Amino acid sequence: MSGLHVDSVTKNFGLRQVLTDIFISCTKGEIIGLLGRNGSGKSTLLKIIFGSLNADNKFVKVNDKHLKGLYSNIDIIHYLPQDSFLPKHIKVEDIIKVFCKKQQAINLLELELVRPHLRKRSAELSGGEQRVIEVLIMIYSEAEYLLFDEPFNGLGPLHIEIIKDLIKAHSERKGFIITDHDYRNVLDISTGIILMHDGGTKVIKDKNDLVRWGYLPSSSLSNT
Amino acid sequence: MRIINGLWVFYRKLVIPSAALSVCLGLMMGTGMKVIGMAGFSYIFITPFFHLMIYDLTNPKEYYFYYNLGLSKLMLWFATVVTSIIIGLILMAI
Repeated sequence: MSGLHVDSVTKNFGLRQVLTDIFISCTKGEIIGLLGRNGSGKSTLLKIIFGSLNADNKFVKVNDKHLKGLYSNIDIIHYLPQDSFLPKHIKVEDIIKVFCKKQQAINLLELELVRPHLRKRSAELSGGEQRVIEVLIMIYSEAEYLLFDEPFNGLGPLHIEIIKDLIKAHSERKGFIITDHDYRNVLDISTGIILMHDGGTKVIKDKNDLVRWGYLPSSSLSNT
Repeated sequence: MRIINGLWVFYRKLVIPSAALSVCLGLMMGTGMKVIGMAGFSYIFITPFFHLMIYDLTNPKEYYFYYNLGLSKLMLWFATVVTSIIIGLILMAI
């Protein structure tokens, strides 16, 4: 079976069971929106899929390859964390050259969004500018599957639209799992929605389901 | 190659503060050629200290950059310790 498949994930923090009944699959061409209330375990799940956080139990497979840790993920899965992660001591140009392969780096270095910042260190960029660079190096990387935790965090409306268009354009060659507190942005670009509820995942068909599972207030249906 | 580049990007943040403090300690503990040897000895222990201070305590989020290159925290610690021992021993042998 092709694609990213995540199954049998369980995770406890002390006596609290955060993840218990997880199933997610994503193929290239899909943008899966992962929604859930604060504390529902979205970030925890993404970190477990990526391999930076240990689970009590997990099964992550891409195509026929069983992924067990970070080293086995190289060029397969990348994870964009909520907070800025760029090394502050090197220039944006060098970050791109280290992170992306040669041709992708050349393509990225020519982007209008990136060019003004090439000679700056990431510490000299605003939070929004850092976020744009972080999202772009992920999109232009070799990774087949991208896990985005709050990709629109700190971005202005113009940059949000640009990033959404880029994600849609690159989803032809990659699979995306995206979570963001601004659910409208996620709904805009998603080809499928998964809701985290009571430690498990629920497949969402439409906005009515989000109301039924208590993610959206019923008043949100009349606003559309 | 990207892993090697990633390790270098990670390590170079530690070099200047570790070297500076090692030279200071070398000057305090030795005289003449012994300064270099003492600086090398200090460097072996000071670099892991700066690794802890700069990455684990001050900028833990930066680890995700290296995780995305396939470098785990264990691998980065191993690289810091081994590289520092090699550089320290070379300086001590001078």
